[in-house]
Amino acid sequence: MNELRLPDLGEIDEVKVVGWLKKIGDRVEPGEELLEVETNKTTFVVEAEIGGKITRILVDVGERASRGDLLAEIG
Amino acid sequence: MRQAIHLPLGHLEYGVTYNLQRRLLELRRLGEIADAVITVEHDPVFTIGRSGSRDEILVDEPSLAREGISIHQVERGGRITYHGPGQLVLYPIIDLRDHGRDIRGYVRNLEQSVIDYLEEVGIAGTRREGFPGVWVKTKKIASIGVYVRHWITMHGLAVNVDVNKSHFQMINPCGLQIQVTSVAEHTTDDHPLTEVGAGLLSRLARLFQWRFKEVDPARFIGVGAQGGHR
Repeated sequence: MNELRLPDLGEIDEVKVVGWLKKIGDRVEPGEELLEVETNKTTFVVEAEIGGKITRILVDVGERASRGDLLAEIG
Repeated sequence: MRQAIHLPLGHLEYGVTYNLQRRLLELRRLGEIADAVITVEHDPVFTIGRSGSRDEILVDEPSLAREGISIHQVERGGRITYHGPGQLVLYPIIDLRDHGRDIRGYVRNLEQSVIDYLEEVGIAGTRREGFPGVWVKTKKIASIGVYVRHWITMHGLAVNVDVNKSHFQMINPCGLQIQVTSVAEHTTDDHPLTEVGAGLLSRLARLFQWRFKEVDPARFIGVGAQGGHR
């Protein structure tokens, strides 16, 4: 099981998830775009570091996350 | 110092400029171009960011048509905003991996370029905690909205130089009833957009350690940019 965590985006407190581009059950490749988060009037696209199948999504659209928070599990 | 390219588009339609940004982002990702900054002035347009909605437009379709205002739903952060004649827009297409991978630092540099330029023309621009952009007292003079994909930026910064404020009154971003101002309201001198653009670029060059080379945008859009700044 691999964990998708919010990457280090520099000096920010938290982000809001504004959209998932993938859903549970989708298979993803390394580098594929998974979700969009927003902070400071900036939308940032989070990519998969490792390939696999998304088994769990832990932060839904509208919810907030901080650096290192678990966003999804990729099996 | 790093080489960067400046693409002066003059006055160009929003959609064409948007497609150019997407193309440049891809070229930057492939390493085929250096960091790039577009300068442009648009026809009246409302763009709605990821956190915005059409509900933030306060007038009906016929009113929009009468004023020649089009609407674009885009991926940048933030809510609804306005672009139009008399506003200078900068779209930096830059790889943040070369600039510290710091989103907040990037936004702060965009703000700083405006604050420094305004200071030179005798206007005190400031930041407001929690409200990215540049303000003159309680009114907004520059707006920011950014999209970062593969750590490369698009969208950017809009500075009100001498704008039609009635267009801003047709929208209500953030439900805050934000009031706007422009450079022209605070100075008696005329500040053409080309001059404002040159001023901002020289400050961005200092902040990002760039040496700019001007490039003909036709190289990337197949046709020459139409006209010049007003």
